[in-house]
Amino acid sequence: MKERLLLSICLFFGSLFAMAQKEPCAYSVSGKVLDADTEETVPYAVIRVEGTEKYTSTDREGNFKIDGLCSKKNTLIISCIGYADSTRDHEHDSEIHFYLAQEVTGLDEVTIQAQRTKEKGTETISQVTIGKVEIDGNPTQSLAAILSRQQGVTYASAGTNVQLPVIHGLYGNRILVLNNGLKHGFQNWGTDHAPEIDIASANSITVVKGAAGVRYGPEALGGAIIVEPNSLLLNNPFYAELGTGYQTNGKGYNANVALGKGTERWSFFANGNYTRIGDRNTPDYSLTNSGKEEKAIGLGVLHHLDQWDFKVNYSFVDQNLALLRASIATSPDSFTRAINANEPIIINPFSYDIGQPSQTTQHHLAKAEINWWYTEGARLTLIGGLQLNKRNEFDVRRNAELPIIDLDLLTYDYQLEWKHPTWHGLNGLLGLQYFGQDNDNNPGTQTTPYIPNYNTDRFSAFAVESLVFGKNTVEAGLRFDFETNDVRGREINQAIFRDNYTFTNFTGTLGYVRRLSENSTFRTNIGTAWRTPNMEELFSFGQHSFKTTFGLLRFKDTNGVLSTDEVTPLDESRVNPERGYKFINEFQTHKNGNSHNITVYSHFIENYVFDRPIGVFGTVRGPMPAFIFDQADVLFLGAEYSWKKEWTPTVSSSFGASYLWSRNVGDNDSLINQPPISTNVELKWNQGKVWLFDSSKWAIRPSYTFSQFQAARTITPASLVDGSIELTTESEIFDFADATDGYFLLDLSWSFRWNNLNGGIRLQNLLNTAYRDYLNEMRYFADEPGRNLLFTLKYTLKTSPQNE
Amino acid sequence: MKTMNLFKNLRLLAILCSAITIVGCNNDDDAAPEEENEVEVFTDVTLIFTNTADTSDVVRASAQDPDGTGIQELQILDAITLAADTEYTLTYEILNALDPTDVEDIGAEILGEDNEHQFFFSFTEGAFTSPTGNGNIDTASEPINYNDQDENGNPVGLSTTWTTPAATSAGGMFTARLQHQPDIKTATTGSNDGDTDFALTFVLNVQ
Repeated sequence: MKERLLLSICLFFGSLFAMAQKEPCAYSVSGKVLDADTEETVPYAVIRVEGTEKYTSTDREGNFKIDGLCSKKNTLIISCIGYADSTRDHEHDSEIHFYLAQEVTGLDEVTIQAQRTKEKGTETISQVTIGKVEIDGNPTQSLAAILSRQQGVTYASAGTNVQLPVIHGLYGNRILVLNNGLKHGFQNWGTDHAPEIDIASANSITVVKGAAGVRYGPEALGGAIIVEPNSLLLNNPFYAELGTGYQTNGKGYNANVALGKGTERWSFFANGNYTRIGDRNTPDYSLTNSGKEEKAIGLGVLHHLDQWDFKVNYSFVDQNLALLRASIATSPDSFTRAINANEPIIINPFSYDIGQPSQTTQHHLAKAEINWWYTEGARLTLIGGLQLNKRNEFDVRRNAELPIIDLDLLTYDYQLEWKHPTWHGLNGLLGLQYFGQDNDNNPGTQTTPYIPNYNTDRFSAFAVESLVFGKNTVEAGLRFDFETNDVRGREINQAIFRDNYTFTNFTGTLGYVRRLSENSTFRTNIGTAWRTPNMEELFSFGQHSFKTTFGLLRFKDTNGVLSTDEVTPLDESRVNPERGYKFINEFQTHKNGNSHNITVYSHFIENYVFDRPIGVFGTVRGPMPAFIFDQADVLFLGAEYSWKKEWTPTVSSSFGASYLWSRNVGDNDSLINQPPISTNVELKWNQGKVWLFDSSKWAIRPSYTFSQFQAARTITPASLVDGSIELTTESEIFDFADATDGYFLLDLSWSFRWNNLNGGIRLQNLLNTAYRDYLNEMRYFADEPGRNLLFTLKYTLKTSPQNE
Repeated sequence: MKTMNLFKNLRLLAILCSAITIVGCNNDDDAAPEEENEVEVFTDVTLIFTNTADTSDVVRASAQDPDGTGIQELQILDAITLAADTEYTLTYEILNALDPTDVEDIGAEILGEDNEHQFFFSFTEGAFTSPTGNGNIDTASEPINYNDQDENGNPVGLSTTWTTPAATSAGGMFTARLQHQPDIKTATTGSNDGDTDFALTFVLNVQ
């Protein structure tokens, strides 16, 4: 066997099978390793036969074969991640799972379903991963849109370009987005700021559906999204990928390139992506000003020494996103007209131009990571990260060419982690983290800053330990955070206000996994998390989009009379951090081509921050609807179910449904903008070789989203403006329009491989259904896009390995 | 040998740590955002009716919202009380007085962008002999005596002419509305096009 050093993506465990033949030591086993979540092949997984010297690794297509086995029944040990080095035999961080062989007769090949290893601190939490194939098939989609096909995940949006992932009803900075190991440092407030991440460069995206705060940072009340970049394989021959796409709706085009190479000591990758889309169309009209332009690059270098890895990454994303022109209403009167109109009040012919309102962002991320495997089974990791997020937002206003928001946000991140050697059966990770943000307003907006200047410094320490005994795994974690904030803002009369506040908090997680049988697993986890209200929730003042909003510290309620003339220091206010307690249970079973997954959760959040209307107040523009941020205790109860069935070796189907009940239990009131019930079915046919194609795959996906039956009552803006309805600070929550109707969508896709060429055609909203999405802020003004045909092509250039 | 390696490794780690630390040197400042010249807010709007026959006869009616986008209510300070059978020219004083030490006149800015602005009016039916009717907020084609035009020949309304009837009246209504219509203003655009800069309703008396 040749010495091979391999670094691969993480995975693991499988049910395994061995192929029996008649003569002694002439048995062989061959097969394929597939990722259980994504059904993608797993390259470079190492397969060992327990009790023998036999081992091999899967090729790039995930295939393997081991000959010369002396026994009919074998135990295969499959490992990936890290390194498998035949001579030095140190398997950095590989996680090995043993499964007893089942005797299989009449099969030439076996398929091993490998599941990803879960990140430390999340092993007992329900999670799901999306792989490269799925990502490549949707090069023009946003991070949130691509995740929304998973149960329990959806997105909240402000039009076609700004889409925020929603996990179990929570979004914004309650969801932690981890990009390349760093918390994505961006203007994470409101429903109109989406993470600026180029998914085309991502290798995989994992959604953790429980409170993952101990490991990643306290705000992750709702969950975490982990975006993994290129995995920098060693001993990987030079490859280059060239992809392009075209979509009919919005006449969008996309081009991307990726290349890389791994030698024994070094590995690098580079990628670039360009996307441009014009105004999208609903079935009936053009969505004026809904295009986008996006440029992204990414670089990474890995240097490997016997016990060391040095990794450097840089990525840059430049976005220019248009927001629907017809959504801008600076007076209640125009808002009333816009909301009452069946079509947007401004419709112009198709254009690629991006006018106001719009937002441009440049996001730089630089990261250095050192891993040191100083002894068997132990590792020290040091990560340093620096992110610069420059954001400009433009509005329809008197000085439209000047940004109305112009912010530079600098984020620093240092993490030191110690994976300690196994100690009395305990496996664990201990870490120290520093997280700092420095937000500055650039002068020249000619308007009072909506978000103040601030500096946040957070010092954290955490420990996560797991213990395996028999079929049980117990995982527990504890985190300590000390956070200081220094805030400087301007009053509307340009007087300066300052605030300083500090929080000290503990976060905990406790989970348990039991392998009920070879095919079934039960997971349960209870996690706590806390979150400081964000800068918008505390300090917003005045008009942003059609709303006039006052942050928690910007208004005073004296016996029902509101005043906004002074800023209350946080320490003197009644504002408390949010505290969440999430209990999530998952039952998974795979048997005879059937797999079921049931997830049930409850989530109680104390001091949940939300905004609500408090009435109208007079301005020179007319009576404006005013909103305040408020806090209350809320409860979320939810469940999701998915069932996958392999009907024949080439035909499979899946069914999924998600349900969420949520309520402001503190005030016995509704919540607004919560995801409605949704269900979907997907039927897949893997046609195999046909005509010229090496593979041909079909999928059809009908889905139905219900109307939100728990929506808040409706009060039209007109009835507020004419005074027929008056509200007080004690009024029940309302919405300006009824919850959107339920809708049925049908998607169809075909993908193929022909030599080095992969491609596909996706038909989205095949029936050209006109519908509105309840979680889209633009639902007041316009329909969602209609039918879209997306064509993608990808050419992969691979050189053959030099030493095989 | 092992110790040597460990030493080498630790040294390497130390160098890399310091390299990362230098990259991240924190320029911790405590500067507040720079003062901005707020141009989006009107706090004081005054309607100025000047008797065309006697320019010393001026009727002023003001509305004030001292805290701009703050929650404080708009106050209509005056009623418009005009003399019967008289011709008036209506002009405006539009101010941003958020910062009392730096009051800004927005009227000049509107004049500079007159091809993006138009004033519209609504009043009690028959309150004037000229213009007749009830104004052009509900129907843009109804008559208003605009005295000014933008570069495209479309009405602006920074100056308009009004003639009261001989009969007196009390408790009528007069609304002036300024619409901002960037890129969309034409000869036929109405009060529902573009966005409202102000919309103020006063009590109208003719005596």
